[in-house]
Amino acid sequence: MYVLHYAPDNASLIVRLALEEAGLPHEVRLVDRRLRQHEGEDYRRLNPAGLIPALETPEGPLSETGAILLWLADRHPEARLAPPIASPDRGQFLRWLFFLSNTAHADLRQIFYPDQYVPQEATGSHHAILATRMRHHFALLNAAAAAHPQLFAAPSALMLYTAALMRWAVLYPRGQARWFRGADYLSLTAAAMALEARPSALAVAEAEGLGEAPFTRPVEPRPPEGAVL
Amino acid sequence: MYTLRHIPDWASLIVRLALADAGAPCTILPLDYDAGDLDSPGYRALNPLGLIPVLETPDGPVFETGAILLWLSERHPGMAPAPHTIARAPFLSWLFFTANTLHPTVMDIAHPERPGGDAATAAVLARVLARYRDQIAHLERVATTAPAWLDPAAPSVLVPYIAVMLRWAVILAPDPATAITPAAAPHLKAILAAYEARPQIAAIAVEEGLGPTPFSAPHV
Repeated sequence: MYVLHYAPDNASLIVRLALEEAGLPHEVRLVDRRLRQHEGEDYRRLNPAGLIPALETPEGPLSETGAILLWLADRHPEARLAPPIASPDRGQFLRWLFFLSNTAHADLRQIFYPDQYVPQEATGSHHAILATRMRHHFALLNAAAAAHPQLFAAPSALMLYTAALMRWAVLYPRGQARWFRGADYLSLTAAAMALEARPSALAVAEAEGLGEAPFTRPVEPRPPEGAVL
Repeated sequence: MYTLRHIPDWASLIVRLALADAGAPCTILPLDYDAGDLDSPGYRALNPLGLIPVLETPDGPVFETGAILLWLSERHPGMAPAPHTIARAPFLSWLFFTANTLHPTVMDIAHPERPGGDAATAAVLARVLARYRDQIAHLERVATTAPAWLDPAAPSVLVPYIAVMLRWAVILAPDPATAITPAAAPHLKAILAAYEARPQIAAIAVEEGLGPTPFSAPHV
């Protein structure tokens, strides 16, 4: 039995999609960000960096979205979240999983939390620099998804991850000028549309109040419990 | 058989060290950045984005440092806790942490003008150094528990990755004399000192001119 420590519409969303896709029994436990529970001692025992998500497994806790996805993929090969280790596609898959984690997600995080990176007076130029970088990252992902549709199509963990980043690029941070248009990335948009029609995505969208087209036409979430920030 | 396009002390160094640890045969093809090798038509035909590192394998090219390290570890025993072993979970968690948190932080130390423009450089550097201190403190706490995958006598791919990150945080800092050195993390420093004493690692350090203590006490 897995326990996913989550907050609505946080990175835990990606892991929750994977658990649903794989049909794995799991329990979700809210990390209340309004109470800053993720920075508390109990949570840091699961993830010393204090970041959401953490997944408790019978073998101990896992942190880092990319690590959790890969661990689940290898533990439950029948879910087809990733090509098996011996597959000739494994190298391509790992390349894009790391790119999503260390480049696309890392830069998107900078857009969400500029204060952690630059002083107040530089937030305007920072946003412009990072938005340009992000559009470039999405263009690379779009080209990769066009060239290797099977590698990216759900239930591939690459699409679960990419679709969540597309959603957040539209919604967050609140009140910022928009810099992302799904229409600029047609292969990704088509793959995200296919994902949001799957029972797994419908179930997660319902559970976290993400709306009817959470990845291609995202709206402000209305979660039944907890808070996004 | 593998081919690694290599520039000394670039990220391809991490892959080169891991290959040496594994004893995996690999052709190292040097590239000269200053001579424009990365932009040459021949190289771009192979690697359209001109990325370093890329490992050419029988399954095609593999990009991204973390992906190359993990891919190699899945094909050569001893480079990482095997899937389905209990150490796999923390190993993967810290591998991704190193790739998506520590590595970008070190690149911001090297290039503090990038996130906010030239005017913000000093304030960006102060923030990035604070993040770096936090991040190596997390890794230092892991090192105190002496997990097998940080054992310098039988290093997983995380050891060379962390070694090069801690090196760059010093030698690529705008002012290396005041940079945060591995001395801030004594358990990690001891691991790196033992690691750089391994004959195959010391040989690479000599060949690339990295200095006598390239990871535990790096100097420009």
